Amino acid sequence: MSILLSLFLKLSAFSLVAFGGVNALLPVLFNLAVHQEHWIDVQTFSDYFAIAQAAPGPNFMTVTLIGWHVYGVLGALLATLAIAWPSSIMIYFLQRFIMRMKNPLSKQTIQYAAAALAIGLVLSSAFEIALQINHSLAAYILTIGTIAITVLTRWHPLYLIAMGGALGVLGFI
Amino acid sequence: MSGFGGVLPWARRTLVERDKILTSEEFSAILGVCQIVPGPNIMNLAVCIGSRFGGARGALAATLGLSLGPIAIVLCLAFLYEHYSYLESVKGLLRGISAVGVGLIASTGFKMMRDEFRYPAMFLVVVLTMIAATVFHLGLGYVVLLVAPIAIFLARKKAQSL
Repeated sequence: MSILLSLFLKLSAFSLVAFGGVNALLPVLFNLAVHQEHWIDVQTFSDYFAIAQAAPGPNFMTVTLIGWHVYGVLGALLATLAIAWPSSIMIYFLQRFIMRMKNPLSKQTIQYAAAALAIGLVLSSAFEIALQINHSLAAYILTIGTIAITVLTRWHPLYLIAMGGALGVLGFI
Repeated sequence: MSGFGGVLPWARRTLVERDKILTSEEFSAILGVCQIVPGPNIMNLAVCIGSRFGGARGALAATLGLSLGPIAIVLCLAFLYEHYSYLESVKGLLRGISAVGVGLIASTGFKMMRDEFRYPAMFLVVVLTMIAATVFHLGLGYVVLLVAPIAIFLARKKAQSL
C-alpha cells in the first residue's frame, strides 16, 4: 500500500512541475523512477519509453507503464491519474482567467515566454534521454536522421517508428 | 485512439478542419494556454475543450475518452513485453524505436523553434534554459526561476515589436 501511495504522491508532484509537457521532463522522470525510487532499472525505462512511443495515444504513457511495473493494472491507472489530476484542475480554473485577460499584450507575453522556455526544456530533455538510451553510434545516427527527416519533410512519425523498429530487429542499432 | 506519434496534430485536424467545433485561432489560443500550465499538454487541452462544451463533466468526459483506450492498448503491449522481452529481436526492436522516439521529441522542439526566428533574441532564452538544465544540471524549479525573468522581459519586447 505504501508503495502505491508514494507512486501517487511523487507522480502528482512531478505533474505540477512538468512545464512543456511530460516529454520535456523525461530526465526528471528518469531520475525519479530509476535513481531515487528504484521503481525500474535503466533498461526497463528505455524499453517502456519505446513502447509508449510506438503505441497510439498521448505520449505520457511511459508513466502509465512505470505504474504498471510497480503495481499492475491498479498501479498503471493510479500513475496515470497522478500525472493528470494536478494540472487538469489547475488548467480548469486558470483557462478562464487567461482567456479573459483583457490586455492582449500581456497574454502574448506569457505565451511567448512559456513557448521559449518549453523549447529549451524539450531540447534538453531529448539530449539527456538520448545519452541514457542510445548505446551505439548507429542509434545516434538514427536519432539525428529522425530529427532531419521530421524537420525537413512531412513524413508521418509512424513510418519513422516502423523504420527504426525494423533496423533494430535486423540488429543494426 | 488513432493518435500515433502524439495526439495533438490529430486533435487539430478533427476539431478544426473536420467538425469545425473551433476556429483555427481559438485552437491556437487554447493550446497556448495549455502549454503555459505544467502537466501533459494533451490532457490540459482535453480539459479546456471539454469544459468549454460541458463544464466540469465535459472536462472529465474528454480526459477519460482520451486516455482509457490508449491505456488499455499500452497495457496489452506491456503484457507482451513481459513475456517476450528476452528475445534478441524484441530488444533490437525497442532499441530502434526508442532511438527514433527521442529524435521525435527533439524535432518537436525544433519545429516549435520556427516561431522564434520572428524575434531571434528569444533564442537566448532557449539557450540559457538548455545550459542551465544540461550543463549545470539545475533542478527544474531553479531553471524556471533563473530563466523566467529574462524570458518575460524578451517576450514583452517580442509582443510589442510584432
